[in-house]
Amino acid sequence: MSATIDLELLDLVLATALVLVAGAVSLALGLGLGRRLALASVRTVVQLVLVGYVLTYVFAQRTLLVVMAMAAVMIVAAARAAIRRPSRTYRTAFGHAFATLLLTSLVITVTVTAVIIGTDPWYSPRYFVPLLGMVLGNSLTGVSLGLDTLLARLSEQKDRVELELALGASAFEAARPHVREAVRRGMIPIINSMMVVGLVSIPGMMTGQILAGADPLMAVKYQIVIMFMVAASTSLGCIGVVLLAVRRLFNARHQLDLAPLRRQEDA
Amino acid sequence: MPAVILSVRDLAARAGDRVLFLGLDLDLRGGEVVAVRGPSGSGKTTLLRTLSLLQDPAAGTITLGDGDAATLGWSAWRRRVCLVPQLPVMLTGSVADEVRHALGYRASRDLPSRDPGRGRRLLDELRLADIADDHPPDELSVGQRQRLALVRALLLDPDVLLLDEPTSALDPDAAEALREVVRREVSSRAAAVLLVTHDSGRAMRWCDRVVDLADLAGAGRS
Repeated sequence: MSATIDLELLDLVLATALVLVAGAVSLALGLGLGRRLALASVRTVVQLVLVGYVLTYVFAQRTLLVVMAMAAVMIVAAARAAIRRPSRTYRTAFGHAFATLLLTSLVITVTVTAVIIGTDPWYSPRYFVPLLGMVLGNSLTGVSLGLDTLLARLSEQKDRVELELALGASAFEAARPHVREAVRRGMIPIINSMMVVGLVSIPGMMTGQILAGADPLMAVKYQIVIMFMVAASTSLGCIGVVLLAVRRLFNARHQLDLAPLRRQEDA
Repeated sequence: MPAVILSVRDLAARAGDRVLFLGLDLDLRGGEVVAVRGPSGSGKTTLLRTLSLLQDPAAGTITLGDGDAATLGWSAWRRRVCLVPQLPVMLTGSVADEVRHALGYRASRDLPSRDPGRGRRLLDELRLADIADDHPPDELSVGQRQRLALVRALLLDPDVLLLDEPTSALDPDAAEALREVVRREVSSRAAAVLLVTHDSGRAMRWCDRVVDLADLAGAGRS
């Protein structure tokens, strides 16, 4: 196994130059991307440096409590990000996203570490934390797209939903076409990446393992596990949050109640 | 005198904080066709929505036979007190699917299975004979969709049919055909019709009586 080449500070400065080129192009063309790109770049550096220190600490501690505290922070951050993107939201949306992500990501990540990979202990942070991050990063997109689609359709097609209710549909029967579409939309990114994986893109985790000197076939085996756990968590997360939203927006009298909904500006 | 099917007592409705009408008492008997009249904004459509329980009444009670929605179940209530909105939204990709769509809901499961040609016969009687079963409903005219929506509701064998401006987009011939079909369907099954209409004079003659919401206008803000 060859050792990975470590990066000097100068190398990072050179990488910064790449972003500056992009910023300069944006400025020259008046695209107005400069500020956002600068902010995103600064956030990338700050967040990654912080997480580098946090991971060093967590890996050194290896206690269940520390790993779970880390997981909790990650899930809260994912839930917050997931509910910020939809164009509509409601007061308990964060709770719904949090509950769904907590359940699906933990169950799936623990299954992978404890049963499939068989790490000892099951919460061994070197496996558990990056796998959980991978699951959450993808699930939050599914949750976000699913919620956005459902809330948009229920409010834009209120007449259709109420017509189905008026003909005797239950709340779930009236919501079903919209639930189906929401879950379909939430699954598009992961299905797409499963379709082209290896053909168009070499996934981040695999790239990382190969850069770190691992045998490509071993990286492939890990990547298959990752893709399947991500697909499972994305679909379960999306279905979960969409069903919770349906429960919130229909009352016990099978009426569509959009009063809790409000628009939100794109963050 | 035929039995009372739907009974409304002291009903009030509001839109936001504005009271639309107060103290409405109404009994619908088997075979009756009753019109609701009133100026724009008097709550005619709200009354129909309230009776189908798509929204809660501000006050008062509504009973069907001897049950209310809590005992019958909300979906079963709406199958039996069926609203045909003025805006004819289509749900499926073909005329044949459209008329049968609502028969797939759980609340329709206890309906006796019946001859599959009934929807087609009703369409023919409503002057839609030239529209093929596989025609996409979204491409029909508003008047054609209104009649399709009526057939879709009639197949549910409702006890009470709530019609919001059912003839607003129909020519006189088609409107007359619609009245005949509705009249025959309700009297053969001792069902009742409550309809909102802007028709007047001759066109109103098929109604047994008229309820005027202007008499029950809310006393302002509550």
